[in-house]
Amino acid sequence: MKKEMIKTSLILMIYTLVAGLALSVVYKLTEVRITEAEMENVIKSMELLLTDEKGSNLVSSEEIKRKVIEERKNAGKEIYTNGVGTVVSPVYEFKANHATYYVLVGYAVGYGGKVITMAAFEKNEDLRLRAIKVLDYSQETPGLGAKIAEDEVQQRFYPIPSSGLEKGLKVDKDAGKTVTDPEISKSEGVVKVSDVMTGATITPRAVANSINAMYEYLKKEYLK
Amino acid sequence: MKSKLGEFTKGIIKDNPTYVQVLGMCPTLATTTSAKNGFGMGLAATAVLVMSNIVISAIRKTVPEKIRIPIFITVIATFVTIVDLVMHAYTYSLWKTLGLFIPLIVVNCIIMGRAEAYASKHGVFDSLLDGLGMGVGFTLSLTILGSVRELLGNGTIFDIPVWGKAFNVFAMILPPGAYLTLGLFAALFAAIGISKGERAKKKAQQAQKVGEQK
Repeated sequence: MKKEMIKTSLILMIYTLVAGLALSVVYKLTEVRITEAEMENVIKSMELLLTDEKGSNLVSSEEIKRKVIEERKNAGKEIYTNGVGTVVSPVYEFKANHATYYVLVGYAVGYGGKVITMAAFEKNEDLRLRAIKVLDYSQETPGLGAKIAEDEVQQRFYPIPSSGLEKGLKVDKDAGKTVTDPEISKSEGVVKVSDVMTGATITPRAVANSINAMYEYLKKEYLK
Repeated sequence: MKSKLGEFTKGIIKDNPTYVQVLGMCPTLATTTSAKNGFGMGLAATAVLVMSNIVISAIRKTVPEKIRIPIFITVIATFVTIVDLVMHAYTYSLWKTLGLFIPLIVVNCIIMGRAEAYASKHGVFDSLLDGLGMGVGFTLSLTILGSVRELLGNGTIFDIPVWGKAFNVFAMILPPGAYLTLGLFAALFAAIGISKGERAKKKAQQAQKVGEQK
């Protein structure tokens, strides 16, 4: 009886060892490629955010690439939180002809987990939100919260003038009033999403919260 | 001996994993909010199912009866992790879309169910066909379920608009819609099964009568 127990545990051990070995080999083989893919994603999103309405780059893609690689070691640390939204390092700063651009990454908790957003702020006379891109919404409900992926929805979050950012962004349901024109309400910091994301308030709320945290950090700490 | 083709096709209607065997209900209910999501989940599960079926049938003679379940789970979880890592590295955008479903495959009882009920008792090639057939059946079921829910809830199939927003029943995308649609499809498949069984019975009776007359 004892002998059999030892035998079965040995067999199980061998199987788990082989499985562990196979996994470590695959992990090693894919590790570099995964970091590259993640970085490419960051660079691509950043390029998208730093493109103007006519489609030309505000910051050259070489500059973006250089900055991302340069800041790689500092990436991923939590540098600021206001209780609902959290900002993750680093702050990518780009100086261009007419303005300085700040690209930040932040997150807030949505329906199923973290919703991660990248935001580009533009500063010359005042500080405005230029554009955003939701990077990770994988824990949100498909067909509901995950609709945040659509461009039509994300465009409701930008551009926001400094008057809107100062008031703090809110989704229209939380603002407690009916919004007819999504463009006009942006100056008051109200993001109208109830028509494009029916039945899902938690996910866009998370995006608004993370934008607020990024703005606060940028204004209170980074640009102090 | 059953035909090889039969090993493959049984998973599509007769032993359909979703509607007949009622296996893997968690991902079925959770991910079929749209046709695309259902299809993606089906494909990812098929890949793991085929690989785990092959390996489990290959090692079936060295696996002691008592610890077969932990060993099967180890094999399945290993494959899921490998698929996850490889997709993350080489098909980044697809991985982003399916990211949510891949870890879910570990708890998909179709894979465990086929390992236990089939792969651990049959040869490698038959197990491969079985895995492929069950995978295709699962993918089709999920795609159909997702299409119906997407159409009734959102007016589109695979993001292609079919009718306007006025006809949409919003509840279809929410969990109640999953239960309703699943129940109706299970009833349909059961009806097909019953009528097929009766037809076969009638045929057998007729054949018997003919035999007696002779």
